[in-house]
Amino acid sequence: MSSLLSTEIIKMSEKLAADLRSGRILGSTEAAYKVLDMIDFVSRNYPDLLNKYLVEWIPVFMEARPTSLVMINLTRQFLREYVKLLKSVGNEKATHKAHEIINRIKQNIEEVKEVIATLGSRRISDGDVILTHSYSATVIKLLSKAQERGVKFSVIVTESRPIGEGLHTIEILNKIGIKTTLIVDSAVRFIMKKVSKVIVGADAVAANGAVINKVGTSAIALAAKEARVRTYVAAGTYKFGFETVFGELIEGVILNEPTLIIPEEELSTLTGKVIVKEPLFDVTPPEYIDAIITEYGLIAPQAIPIIVRELHGWPPRLESIDELLKEVSRYAQV
Amino acid sequence: MPKFEIPRKVIEIRENIRTMRIRGAGRIARAAAEALAIAAQEFKGGDVREFIEYINIVGDYVRSARPTAVSLPNAVSYVLTRLQRAKPTSLDEAKDLVIKTAEYFIEYSRKAVKIIGELGAKRLEYGDVVMTHCHSTAAVSVIVTAHKLGKVNKVYVKETRPKLQGLITAKALADAGLDVILIPDSSVRYFMKKVSKVIVGADTVAANGAVINKIGTSLVALVAKEARVRTYVATETYKFSPRTVIGELVPIEVRDPTEIVSNEWLRNNPGVEVYNPVFDVTPPEYIDAIITEKGIIPPQAAILILIEEYGLSIKEQLKEHDFVIREEELRE
Repeated sequence: MSSLLSTEIIKMSEKLAADLRSGRILGSTEAAYKVLDMIDFVSRNYPDLLNKYLVEWIPVFMEARPTSLVMINLTRQFLREYVKLLKSVGNEKATHKAHEIINRIKQNIEEVKEVIATLGSRRISDGDVILTHSYSATVIKLLSKAQERGVKFSVIVTESRPIGEGLHTIEILNKIGIKTTLIVDSAVRFIMKKVSKVIVGADAVAANGAVINKVGTSAIALAAKEARVRTYVAAGTYKFGFETVFGELIEGVILNEPTLIIPEEELSTLTGKVIVKEPLFDVTPPEYIDAIITEYGLIAPQAIPIIVRELHGWPPRLESIDELLKEVSRYAQV
Repeated sequence: MPKFEIPRKVIEIRENIRTMRIRGAGRIARAAAEALAIAAQEFKGGDVREFIEYINIVGDYVRSARPTAVSLPNAVSYVLTRLQRAKPTSLDEAKDLVIKTAEYFIEYSRKAVKIIGELGAKRLEYGDVVMTHCHSTAAVSVIVTAHKLGKVNKVYVKETRPKLQGLITAKALADAGLDVILIPDSSVRYFMKKVSKVIVGADTVAANGAVINKIGTSLVALVAKEARVRTYVATETYKFSPRTVIGELVPIEVRDPTEIVSNEWLRNNPGVEVYNPVFDVTPPEYIDAIITEKGIIPPQAAILILIEEYGLSIKEQLKEHDFVIREEELRE
C-alpha cells in the first residue's frame, strides 16, 4: 500500500479487512458500520488523505466480505453523496461533511431497524417458541420489542458454529429476561417439532428472494418447511442486491482454520491429515421463506422485484462503487 | 433358595454389562452369548426339560443387566430361539446346541463389520463422494472397503457436536488413505451438493425401520433427500430393537450441558437452558437402505430381521412386558 497513508490507518484497515474476512465481525450491518466508521475516522484525522484512502481501501473491504450487500449498499450511498459534494462544494468542504453523511446514513438504518423490529414483533404471540440462528441485531431488537409488549414466548438459539455467534445472542436475550434454550446446530430437526416460528436475519437478500445468511440457515429453513413451521427473515431493503442478480452464484467466504473445529489437544493427531472447510454463509432458496420483514412491511420473497422497482426502477439503475471511486480518484490526484 | 444355581462366571459377565465395564453393542452381544455358552457347559442338572427351563432363566437373568441395551436381548434371543426351534430330545443335544449357536453368534458378530463393509461397498459407485456423521465402525468399514476397490476417494466428515466424534472418523478414514474434509455440522446443506452418497451408522433401528442415531443424523438425511442424494445406514442386525414392535419408544438420552458450554459460561448466564439430546430419529422414508451383515434391506424390512433372526414373537414380547392377553384375543 501507498507510503502516503499513515501507518496507523494502514494497521487499522488491515485489521478491519481481516476481521471482515474471518467473520469475527458478527452482523452484516455491523460490518458495514465498521467500514463507515473507518472512513469517518480518516476524514476527521487525516482529511487530506481521505480521497486516496477511499480509492485504495474500499475495494479491499468489499472483497473481504462479498456477501455483505449492506456494506456495498451503504458504502455506495456514502460515495454517491460524497461525490455529489465534491462536485458542488469542492474537496475541502466535502471532506469536512463526510462525518455528517455517515451519521445520517447510520441514523437512517437505525430507524429502518426500529420499524422492522416493530412490525416483526407483532408476529409473535403468547406461547410461541421461536428458533433463531447466529446473531442478528435486528432479530434481537424484534424479540425484545415483543418482550416489552408483554408477550409470553421463549427462544431457542443454535450454537451457530463454526464461529459460535449463537452464544452471544443467547447471552443478550437472557439478560433482558427472555426465556432461552441453547442447542447444538445438529439438533435443529429434532427440536423443530417444538418450534412455532423461525426468525432469522440476513446478510443479504438476492433479487430472486434467496437469502444469504450465516451457514446453517438453509438447513434450518428446510427442517422448518418439513415440519410446517413458518420461517421469517428480518431484513431491511438496504440488504437487497440491487445491481446484480446475485443469488447462488456467489462463492461466499470459506475459512480453512482447523482451530475452529479441532480442540487444541487433538490438533497434532489431525494436522496434515485432513482438510478443514468452514463456509461462513449459505443460501436459503425463496421457497423456504414465508416472508421477509422489511421496513415496507412483510413481503413474500418473490415480491422483491416490486420493491426494488419502486426504489430504483427496473432494472435498477445504480452507480457501481467502481464508477464512484473513479470520480473520487480525480480529486485524489489534485 | 433358587431352583437353579447360576454359575459364577455368568454372574460376573452380567455384572460387567450392568456396570458398563462391557460396553458397545457388539461387545455386549458377544458377552451375552458367551454367558449362555458357559451356563450350558456348567449345567449340572438331570434332563432336557430341566435344562431348557434353566437356560431360559439364565437368559432372563442376563437380559436384565441393561434393560435399554438393544443388542443384549437380541443375542440372548438369537441363541434361545434356535434351541426352541430345534426341539432337542436329549440333554447333550440341547447343551451342544446352545454352545454351538452361541459360538457361531460370537464368530459372526465379529465378522459382521467386515461383511457390512463388503456388502456396502458394492452399493458405491466409482467416483462417489461420501458424507458421514459421527463415528460408526460399520460406516467406516463400508467407506474404507469402497476406497480399497478404488470407488471412493473423497469423504466429507461432519464434526458432530457436542462430543466431536467426527474427529475419530476423520482420523480413521485419513489413515486409510482417503481425502478427508472436516466440516462444521451447520454446513451440511452447503456441502450436500458436492456429495453423492451419505453413509451413517445406527445406535438402534426400530421395528418400523426408523433409525435412532447421533443427534444430527435426521437432518443429514433430510438434506440428502432434498438433494436427491441416497442415504445408507450401516449397522449390525443386533441393533434392531425388538421392544419397539410392541410400541415402545426408544428413549432419547439427554446429557449434561457442559458437553456444549463450560461451567463458567453456565454460571455467567444463569437462566439459560442448555438442551443436549444425544440421539435423533430418522424416519424410514429418508433412508434408502440399511446395510446389515444379513444383506442390504429396505428399512421397512426391519421387522423381518427381528422375526427371522431373533425369533421375535409378539405374543412373547407382550408376555414379557406383563401384558395380560388371552390366547383367543390374539387369535382374533
